[in-house]
Amino acid sequence: MDIFLQQLANGLTIGSIFALVALGYTMVYGVMKLINFAHGDMVAASAFVGLTIYTQVMGQATSLFAVIAIFFLAAAVMACVGIMLERLAYRPLREAPRLSAVVSALGASLMIQNGIMLIWGPQMRIFPELIPQVYWDINGVVISLIQVIILALSVTLMIALYLFVEKTRMGAAIRASAIDQDAARLMGINVNKVIALIFIIGSSLGAVGGLFIGLYYRGITFNMGWQYGLYAFIAAILGGIGNIPGAMLGGMMLGLFQAFIAGYVSSTWADAFTFILLILILIVRPTGLLGERVAEKV
Amino acid sequence: MKNLERFGFPAFIIVMAILPNLLNSRWQAVAITFLIFTVVALSQDIILGKAGMFNMGQALFFGMGAYITAILNSQYGWPLLATIPVAILLPALFGILLSGPIIHLRGDYLLVVTIGFNIVFVQVVQNNLGGITGGPNGIFGLDSISLFGMQLTSQLSVYYFAFAVLLLTLGIMHNLEKSKVGRALHYLREDQLAAESIGINTRVYKIFAFGLGAGIAGLAGTVFATQYSAVSPEAFEFIQSVLFFSIVLVGGSSIPGILLGVFMMFVLPEIFREFATWRFFIFGFAMILAMILRPRGIWPASFGKIPKFLIKESNHGA
Repeated sequence: MDIFLQQLANGLTIGSIFALVALGYTMVYGVMKLINFAHGDMVAASAFVGLTIYTQVMGQATSLFAVIAIFFLAAAVMACVGIMLERLAYRPLREAPRLSAVVSALGASLMIQNGIMLIWGPQMRIFPELIPQVYWDINGVVISLIQVIILALSVTLMIALYLFVEKTRMGAAIRASAIDQDAARLMGINVNKVIALIFIIGSSLGAVGGLFIGLYYRGITFNMGWQYGLYAFIAAILGGIGNIPGAMLGGMMLGLFQAFIAGYVSSTWADAFTFILLILILIVRPTGLLGERVAEKV
Repeated sequence: MKNLERFGFPAFIIVMAILPNLLNSRWQAVAITFLIFTVVALSQDIILGKAGMFNMGQALFFGMGAYITAILNSQYGWPLLATIPVAILLPALFGILLSGPIIHLRGDYLLVVTIGFNIVFVQVVQNNLGGITGGPNGIFGLDSISLFGMQLTSQLSVYYFAFAVLLLTLGIMHNLEKSKVGRALHYLREDQLAAESIGINTRVYKIFAFGLGAGIAGLAGTVFATQYSAVSPEAFEFIQSVLFFSIVLVGGSSIPGILLGVFMMFVLPEIFREFATWRFFIFGFAMILAMILRPRGIWPASFGKIPKFLIKESNHGA
């Protein structure tokens, strides 16, 4: 029972990180029908940007204000990178065959990943201890302050995003563009602005996810974007890609699944089990758990 | 285009046949790598370019072929050349069995599932399942090729082995283009619904393409194991699959385009060694630039003898 509760806490923490990152994939896919392979590497880049802001800009301060400032600055930097990425690598290919954009995304991913390596070096860096190491022991289940903050902040951000997309006029524009870009354009929606907005939101959420990865795991490497990006992407697909609540559900599910595999089976087989779960779900429900049941457009 | 086929290919084959005699041993090794990776990229082209299925796990079949050769040679003492039939058939069978249940998935979902197969494969060989894959270190110390009782230990013989495999693959690609199967794959890639409505069993042809591509990649794996007399998991990581995927699309899914792509990805880095740390950064940039300037690839493939003005631009593979 102890293992169960402990892995439940760990799984919810990893799951909320996956969910934050998965939202970036799913929103871009929803509107552009493009797998933004560079998103995982943007998440990794955010951890490194956070590290540099901490040492160079904040002078290694760990006050509450400094921590909040690091989050906002890193999110702002990554939002700018996201907009540049869309302008330079994706917008010229919007009318091109779909696979061309996929290759462009893979190219952008390689560029960002190796850009991190060229700037910060190939060795592992240690993320600063921004949040004090406080632990609570509740009947043998250890929960850290970092875990509580990650979970609370992620859930808040996800609820805010959900309300933004469902209840505001801009959210309605996003939903309309996801359903039919041409029709949205005819209704007077500036689809280019919607796409820019999506990259801003997705990249900032990914940036928060990247900082959480730094805070939670401490060690950050230039190529960790592949790993976390792939997990988050699987989470988005599990929930039904293009579907915002689906990404949240998929992320939490995948986090819990991996935590239980690590707790009860072995973490050396985590990847294999994750993909077996994905394949099984896709065989039963080809468009994910909450995905729309429509045939491919012909 | 016509002239290229008539003069370009024979010229290429003659040059490649003479080439190793002019190179020192380091460049011979590079040339062998070029041949092997060309074969894998061509096998990827059958699945991705010809049949239009988003497969990003080709390193799985390549690695499976290499591991089969290595295991049969080191554990059971089979001669290297005798492992070829198994190294073709088993990956082909795997290709058929794996693609069967997933072939109906939408493009992007198929892509993720094939990535998954690749990662599961690497994890299986790394964790030394069954105790025969050698774990993270892989398997080393394989024999050299023996033919009619002669031990062919020189690098030159590996080169000609790889060259023979490339010629065989080019022959298959040529026949595929001129055959009923090739036409069927072309139609189903362009428009699956139309292909079905004129009586093409798309499911069978898709699975066939997977099996054929997997078998050829397995054969390339045998050559790879022979060249290094060793195999290890990191040679078949998912990043390799990404490279093969990109080579086919950047090249434009034509044979000259793929040759060019493999040359750029695997031979140029050997020439410009001092830029090794910049390698993937430059590749990434080149991939974006190539796609923006030529969205259908550097050297787009053409099909059949239809005059250009009759072909409607289509979103191939969308």
